[in-house]
Amino acid sequence: MRTLADAPAGGRTWSDLDDFQAFIDAGGMVEPGDDMPDEYREEVFRFIEFHANSELMGGLTERDWIPHAPGLRLKQVFLAKTQDEIGHAHLLYMVAADMGIKTRTEMLEDLFGGRSRFHNVFHYQAVTWADQIAIAFLVDAAAFASQRAVFAECTYGPYKRILKRIVSEEGFHMRHGEEMLLRLATGTDVQRSMFQEALGRWWWPAVQLFGPDSPPGDTDPLIRWRIKSKRNEELRAAYVQKYVPLLHSYGFEVPDPELHQDADGRWVPGEIDWEPLKATMRQGGPDSARRIATAANNWADTAWVRAALS
Amino acid sequence: MTPIPLGVRHTWGWCLTHTGTPVHRPAPGREVLEALRSVGDPEYPDVSIVDLGLVETVEVDDDAVRIGLIPTFSGCPALAMIADDVRAAIESVPGVRSVAVDWLAAPVWSTSRMSSAARRALAEEYTVVLRGSDGSLRCPVCGSHDVREQSMAGPTRCRSISWCDDCRNPVEVMR
Repeated sequence: MRTLADAPAGGRTWSDLDDFQAFIDAGGMVEPGDDMPDEYREEVFRFIEFHANSELMGGLTERDWIPHAPGLRLKQVFLAKTQDEIGHAHLLYMVAADMGIKTRTEMLEDLFGGRSRFHNVFHYQAVTWADQIAIAFLVDAAAFASQRAVFAECTYGPYKRILKRIVSEEGFHMRHGEEMLLRLATGTDVQRSMFQEALGRWWWPAVQLFGPDSPPGDTDPLIRWRIKSKRNEELRAAYVQKYVPLLHSYGFEVPDPELHQDADGRWVPGEIDWEPLKATMRQGGPDSARRIATAANNWADTAWVRAALS
Repeated sequence: MTPIPLGVRHTWGWCLTHTGTPVHRPAPGREVLEALRSVGDPEYPDVSIVDLGLVETVEVDDDAVRIGLIPTFSGCPALAMIADDVRAAIESVPGVRSVAVDWLAAPVWSTSRMSSAARRALAEEYTVVLRGSDGSLRCPVCGSHDVREQSMAGPTRCRSISWCDDCRNPVEVMR
């Protein structure tokens, strides 16, 4: 079996997009030294930049909760999660910058200037500690499922190699999420109602993280070029299928009055209002402005470090 | 048969009654070791904690098992999870009645405790490498030595980040 560390070919060229598609369909993996089509380079770059931005914004959010974590052990967990996310962002920005479309500084300035996108879930505010647990339990699991589906195919070699480690580490975060939820679920009435309220704030953003249905057939270049292995709606349905019964088993209510089971017993959510997701993509989410400003201030405050190092 | 790198200190004795019937079935040391081997590191699920050199002592005293582990870093956030996984794996061994897991303060873990199987799996599957004894780095993807350190801090405390100028892949280094 081919391992992730098998020496990449590199330096390959393709006569046209059909030729390139045939290479992808035959299971080919693209490496940085290849003369890849501009359209492919652009799609992969945008995808990795979005992922990198999301890891960075997620890490900054988790960092805010380190001083508030109840107890040393949970502080340690949040320190480690923050380090993971920032480290992932670092690796992803390296690979994205190498693609030659934007430098790392340009990507960061676009992000802090509100000109770049990142995951919808980082446009909302975490109100109580229970929100952090809802994020760890629901959002980390959604991110894990979507990243695992990218890793399963992912035709861009350097991205696939980083994803192997990222996916393992996100799996580790999910276990922390389960552990923390179990503490609340078996806790006092106040703890349980705190989580129920947080669930009201985080269920829909987590479900929407997968995005609206993918464009029909193979019109989505991300699917055609096997950057993603599964369609958005497939991932979303599988997530709902898994998490509704889990939340019920802990005795919590899923905040969707139209949620029901179909004839085969599969959970079907009510109709999804995509407006909130679209708002986050325009930086118009409930907490977008504050989050971006916080990140931008960090960047400005550390300018002297970059100056000293250059 | 795979060689077992650990000494198992058996303090069991078959307790035979005067009729010759064993009343205690001692926990089998070999099965305890196999159960330990099945425990993967939370961050590298297919690399065993035995191969990573985290297991220092295994004591089997009749049906009581005591495992001494050492952490890669004392502040490692995975310690509780690893201990839980070890406990669960050993409790499933027939004949085991109690399991104690201790994190030992000494000896200090270093990359020299990793087996060649762990090194190979980390390089091939996770593209994570160790420095050579002369401090040199070899890219796990293309084999080049043209690898530059980018950041002392990686996604975990036990790894730093480098970059291979030849194949243009990030390379993480265990430290």
